[in-house]
Amino acid sequence: MKTPVQDLETFSDNTLMLKVKDGHLDKLGLLFERYKKPLFGFFYGMNKDVELSEDLVQNVFFRILKYRYLFRGEGDFKTWMFHIARNVNHDHYRKNKLGKAESVESWENRLGHDDAYSVQLQHDEETTMLTLALDRLPADKREIILLSKYQEKKYKEIGELLGCSEGAVKVKVFRALQELKAVYQQLEKQM
Amino acid sequence: MEQERINELVTKYNENQADPAEIKLIEQLIEEGRIELSQLRELSKLEELVMNVETPSPSSDLDDNFYQMLRTMKGKSKGFSWSRFFAWPEFAPKLAFAAVMLIIGFLGGYLFFPSPSSNKEVAELKDEVLQMKEMMMLSLLEKESATERLKAVSLTNEMTSVSDKVTNALLQTLNNDENINVRLEALEALKPFVRDSRIRSELVRSIGKQESPLVQVALAELMVQLQEKSSVKELKKILENENTPRDVKKQIEESIKTMT
Repeated sequence: MKTPVQDLETFSDNTLMLKVKDGHLDKLGLLFERYKKPLFGFFYGMNKDVELSEDLVQNVFFRILKYRYLFRGEGDFKTWMFHIARNVNHDHYRKNKLGKAESVESWENRLGHDDAYSVQLQHDEETTMLTLALDRLPADKREIILLSKYQEKKYKEIGELLGCSEGAVKVKVFRALQELKAVYQQLEKQM
Repeated sequence: MEQERINELVTKYNENQADPAEIKLIEQLIEEGRIELSQLRELSKLEELVMNVETPSPSSDLDDNFYQMLRTMKGKSKGFSWSRFFAWPEFAPKLAFAAVMLIIGFLGGYLFFPSPSSNKEVAELKDEVLQMKEMMMLSLLEKESATERLKAVSLTNEMTSVSDKVTNALLQTLNNDENINVRLEALEALKPFVRDSRIRSELVRSIGKQESPLVQVALAELMVQLQEKSSVKELKKILENENTPRDVKKQIEESIKTMT
């Protein structure tokens, strides 16, 4: 008999999702195991709230189940999933009027939170600074960097997700990294 | 732009010497795919760092909640439910399939069996029209107005085949209608059916029932055309009748002569 671990290794994302679509809902468990961490990382990178990020991951899988009939198996499952994740994220902010995440208060909150976070996790200095710098980026720039990270730099797929060309995605990443570099250097000076 | 110039730009960027205009140019070259992000050393180092930042792990609550949701959804999806069967996203393809099959069925039927079915239908329709005309004719014959009755009789001109009911009605009209024109028209209408021996004998018998010289002469002419010798006896009766006008007698005599 096959063990779930074997299944996890054997089947491609698309095969699993097509099975889910056909009514084998159990198979969603395998996809969940594969992607709960990257998805959580994406949301956490965006909002720095563990509980909220977990809720949003749950929401993504709920929508995957609800809209499973829309999955055609032509594109990449991961791209489709991140597309849903972006929508979940946007919907959350729209609903909670947190769209103004760049307000001074949220900056302060985030800073306070990050201080504790950095001490708590005892990251090395470089990583801590980078995390801080990332958090200071505007939401769209932070998002593109996180997407690039969790989509493993597949710019073409990210382009499909954002509705633009591969070249345009690279430029977005370039600009975001430029800004990240600037913020990072500024933090370095302050240290 | 030459490769050399591009390399120069990249070097300049890596040395932190690029000005805003050159950075704009680099952006353009990145979009065109002529500069890869990996060529920009510092940025790709930074990107690498970001990639390596460890992702925090979600708590076990996430697993608990997810598997709880999955169990609930599985429970819901078990068994048959009409609402799910008719749920639009899943029902639409079924409906489309059914519609397409129906259309194909009709088309196939139309293409492969066109003649028998359509011929049959046409024949049925013709039959119905004929029946309607007959009914109309029969009801018109009972009208008081002679014009209506004339119309009724002339309706038979359009009929290719008629039932006994119609011929009987025409014979009845020929023998009993009070209007001579109607009688003459009935005689005219009966002409296409004279091949029928029953009608021929009825026509012969009708000779004795006619008082109008016009009808008598018309019948006599028809008898000549048909060479109906059995009519001679009836025609002679007209000759014997004192009330018969002389011209008519003369005409009938000639008719008898041609037949005998």
